Amino acid sequence: MTDTPEILDSQDAIAPVLGDTIIKIDDLSFSYDLGKTNTLRNISLDIPSGKVTAFIGPSGCGKSTLLRCLNRMNDLVTTAQVTTGKIDILGQDIHAPDVEAIELRKHVGMVFQKYNPFPKSIYENVAYGLRVQGIKKKAILDQAVEESLKKAALWSEVKDRLNTSALGLSGGQQQRLCIARTIAVKPQIVLMDEPCSALDPIATARIEELIDELRQEFTIVIVTHNMQQATRVSDRTAFFYLGELIEYDETTTIFGNPSKKQTEDYVSGRFG
Amino acid sequence: MSGHILKTYDDNLHHLKDMVLEMGGNAVLALEKSINGLIEGDRELCAEVIDDDEVIDAAEKKIDEQGMSILLRYNPVASDLRLVFSSINICRSLERIGDHAVNIAKRSRKILKGPGSDQTRLLEPLYLEARKIVSAAMTAYSDVDEKGGHAVIEMDRLVDDAHKSLTKSLSSRIADQEGEEGKSTEAMLNILFISRSLERIGDLAVNIAEDVVFITSAEDIRHT
Repeated sequence: MTDTPEILDSQDAIAPVLGDTIIKIDDLSFSYDLGKTNTLRNISLDIPSGKVTAFIGPSGCGKSTLLRCLNRMNDLVTTAQVTTGKIDILGQDIHAPDVEAIELRKHVGMVFQKYNPFPKSIYENVAYGLRVQGIKKKAILDQAVEESLKKAALWSEVKDRLNTSALGLSGGQQQRLCIARTIAVKPQIVLMDEPCSALDPIATARIEELIDELRQEFTIVIVTHNMQQATRVSDRTAFFYLGELIEYDETTTIFGNPSKKQTEDYVSGRFG
Repeated sequence: MSGHILKTYDDNLHHLKDMVLEMGGNAVLALEKSINGLIEGDRELCAEVIDDDEVIDAAEKKIDEQGMSILLRYNPVASDLRLVFSSINICRSLERIGDHAVNIAKRSRKILKGPGSDQTRLLEPLYLEARKIVSAAMTAYSDVDEKGGHAVIEMDRLVDDAHKSLTKSLSSRIADQEGEEGKSTEAMLNILFISRSLERIGDLAVNIAEDVVFITSAEDIRHT
């Protein structure tokens, strides 16, 4: 979790079986203007655990909006509302009155398009969420920081300068630091909103490699404009157009033999 | 299907397809010339087939180059990817058809060098079926016609039947000549080899048709 200040221990959550539905979106419609117009319309989608699911579609199709619904980031928009349907995560309706957005975000972390480390040391960035949880013991924090940086494939590059400013890292390193910060608090789900769009091809390749490694431990949902990236990193792909889910299937099917003409036209570059 | 946003992508895919169709035309022409040379006793025509094979070979390399270039530059997916992949496959089959035409031309020259054989006309039904099946396969590719592809696969039975019938007929004729001087037997063996090449050409047309079905339906029907 990168931007949620209060991060609690989520280890007591029931671990889903690999491949079982971890996110269930049922007939979801969503509006940014108190229901006057629906930005998302009647989306139904089951996202399996332990897999990478990509959301693709032209700008304005609603893919980022849907991603932000998954950890209720849209709650920050005062006129935003779910107009129909619901989202269950780990079997819990995330809009139920007794579910706090902050509590939800402990289980559903997010990595943003523009890397956004805090103006603190590398160590403090990764330890931040754990400190908020009340963990003070240095040995525990040290171990968590090292583990998270290793999982984010950054440890070998920063282990000798953990107390230097995170802002001194390259763009690609800063994004991997944000991923380390997100996974340090052990969410079950990591949302990624165009995580490579501000990075060069080498840094992008490193993040893609990292996604491949992280899929063993986390369920990842990634929004990307880069269709080659979706083919490389994801197991399943959902194609959205004008606020509707057009097709959702195995990535090899979506890019190899999609069943809908709109999908075929989009993935093969016939409309945009 | 509508064109791509990137017009050069469309241009390159069309160019690839045109190259394969031109190669197909040359392969059919080589087949026609090789058999016509035999039937009309025209050794020059057979020599042309042998000489012109390098045009077909060069086309194979050019198509590979064009296909690779499209893969590299445009990262095709879905039906575009299948078109590129299958076009490269098809040019492989066409190159083999060209090679068979050369084999036929060489055998024909051998037959024509000797006293000739009145049995060459026996090849005509098989040749006509082989020519028809290759043309039909290329038409199916040109029209991206799945039904046409399946029809080609059915047509191969006629080629196989014609080959079997010719083999049977030649075998009995060879047996009848037992003990006689071997010149006409040699001619008949050459006709048998030509028959085998024509039968293989039918199989290669089936391979082309299988690729056409793959382009349109994404279904791999080989070995089914």
